[in-house]
Amino acid sequence: MSLRRVAVLLFKEFTQGSKSFMFIFALVVPIVLSLAIMLVFGNLFSGKPKLGIADAGHSDLVPAASAVDALIVKEYDSEDQLKQAVENGAVDAGVVLPADFDQLVKAGEKASLSAYVWGESLLKNRVIVGVAMAFLIRDLTGLEAPVDITTGLVGEGESVPWEERLLPVVLLMATVLGGSMVPSTSLVEEKQKRTLRGLIITPTTLADVFAAKGLVGVILSYVVVLVILVLNGGFGSQPVLLLLVLGLGTVMSAFFGLLLGAFLKDVDTLFAVLKGTGILLYAPAIVYLFPELPQWIGRLFPTYYLIGPVIEISQRGATWSDVALDVFILLGLILLMLVGVILAVRWLSRQEI
Amino acid sequence: MSEQGVPDRVSRLRMIRVLVQKDLTLFFRNRFFAFITVLGLVVWIAIFYALPKTVDEILELGIVAPDVPPSALAALEEEEEGLVVIKAGSEEALKAAMLEGDYNVGAVLPAGFMDQIAAGGKAPVKLYFTVDLPQDLHQAYVILFQEWAYLLTGEPLEVEATEEVLGVDMAGQQISLRHRMLPLLAVFLLMMETLGLASLLSGEVVTGTLHALLISPLRAVDLFAGKGVSGIGLAFIQATLLMALTGGFSQQPLLMLTALLLGALLVTGIGFLLSLTGRDMMAVMSWGLLAILVLILPALGVLLPGTVSSWVKVIPSYYLVDTVHRVMNFGAGWRDVWTNLVILLGFGLAFCGLGVVALERKLR
Repeated sequence: MSLRRVAVLLFKEFTQGSKSFMFIFALVVPIVLSLAIMLVFGNLFSGKPKLGIADAGHSDLVPAASAVDALIVKEYDSEDQLKQAVENGAVDAGVVLPADFDQLVKAGEKASLSAYVWGESLLKNRVIVGVAMAFLIRDLTGLEAPVDITTGLVGEGESVPWEERLLPVVLLMATVLGGSMVPSTSLVEEKQKRTLRGLIITPTTLADVFAAKGLVGVILSYVVVLVILVLNGGFGSQPVLLLLVLGLGTVMSAFFGLLLGAFLKDVDTLFAVLKGTGILLYAPAIVYLFPELPQWIGRLFPTYYLIGPVIEISQRGATWSDVALDVFILLGLILLMLVGVILAVRWLSRQEI
Repeated sequence: MSEQGVPDRVSRLRMIRVLVQKDLTLFFRNRFFAFITVLGLVVWIAIFYALPKTVDEILELGIVAPDVPPSALAALEEEEEGLVVIKAGSEEALKAAMLEGDYNVGAVLPAGFMDQIAAGGKAPVKLYFTVDLPQDLHQAYVILFQEWAYLLTGEPLEVEATEEVLGVDMAGQQISLRHRMLPLLAVFLLMMETLGLASLLSGEVVTGTLHALLISPLRAVDLFAGKGVSGIGLAFIQATLLMALTGGFSQQPLLMLTALLLGALLVTGIGFLLSLTGRDMMAVMSWGLLAILVLILPALGVLLPGTVSSWVKVIPSYYLVDTVHRVMNFGAGWRDVWTNLVILLGFGLAFCGLGVVALERKLR
């Protein structure tokens, strides 16, 4: 194997291959998915009711409502806009505050307001919005509630928001998509188009080609993983350890992709195999998402030894000693796959490509 | 065949039938599309049944309140429709019930609570939350109790509110996530089938099969009719199976079938256009995914209401999604959705026409 030839091939992969559908797919999909999860679970699925306000004056109620953590408050310029937003479900309920609303409330006079409720709004959201509005209006008058409330938690552990819970899944997807699919598709396409044969009748060896394609997978998926971590602020308290584990994960994925690329003959079969094995690759992530499932099931799948340490490090603040065993198993799997790739290269060199 | 060598109607129909048979055989010979056709259907149905079939729209609250009269608790429930108050015997029993998952929020109002309120003092209240209740929602319950305490003091709120419910009031009969998801699944399924047809067509253009067919007695119109029948059939049968196995025909089955058929026509037209985009499956997949992303946007509006604005109506799949959603979840009838069907038919014919013309030009 020649490092110079690998570098030349790697350059070619990035300049030519980067225009391919799979390259762009592996680069864009995990990042878009990560952004979509942040949007959907960070806001839309937060469980918080959404309140729209059309304020004709400058009511103190608007900033007060915005300060309530349990509500998502949106402001509208007019009653018509507010009605439209309620009608299409952008907010659960909307209130129209007249210009003199605060004055009347503070003076203890009867004030009036119009409220619109979205027909598909959940009852519990209606309760929270209604109660919050009533409380905030009383608050305007300077009244103090006749109760002194203290709060406490029941149970152990802590609530992990869905956008954080899904982060390891997206990282796994980024690792598998870039690491496995790009090298495997590229190899299979080269075999189908007979360009691989053309390459190896030059001084370039199959090992050079495999090394370059594997490196593309590793670099691409690692870059995507880094972008996702930056976007989500997901480095946790042990960033170096997390990056090391993810780096090993990209190597394992690339070896898996090279094995697929070595043995499969056409893109159709490759896609069918990737679809079929997808459930096995993502199974540990699915098990993790549903805590009611026995968590030991996840350990049966190789990708657990990637996602397991990632979850422990990013969400439970695990240190090296906590994840060392899993990381060593991951290293063992990588070595096994490396042996597999070497054997595959030897086998392929004896075949008519 | 007529005496002049021009195929008669029966011969043409026979040729179309042979073409359809050939296309279906080729489609299922492509391992990727054959695999995802079967797997896709199974997975979509599995996803449907894995999603919750009911909507939890009730706030359940455990309470220990030894000296609060039941009438006060009943008044609270009456005041706030959607709130259910469950009494617990002691603080320990309350916490045990919370750990069992009976409710996520518990309140302890000590003995003498009512007297302290009546005396104008500040009464202590302990609120407990289970760890899995999102922290942001804790404040909602704090506010609920503060407001309830105001009500117990008999302090009226000097505000006159007029309330109007916009749209159908679904309180107590909310649409479950699985039923919101169904239009999205239908569009996905229809589009995936189209990718198969597009891939098949682009392959035939590249290998020259279509050319060869066109110099045979087969007319161009019959060739594309055959392709259209294959595409519409594949998409329609799968969408029908999906709906049949998920209870999608419980309301207005004929109307639903018509909508699916028109949806299949639309995606077949898009399939014709996609087949022009490249030489192989990878090229079709890349453009196809872009088309899918655009076409599922209207379905996101059903799944996540309020996320898309009215511009989404320019996307043809809106009229399929809206029809499926309204028929299935709101019991809409022909009179309510006929305009959707007409627009869908228009888009379907336009896309098919455009696709056929463009393919013919390419072949020439």
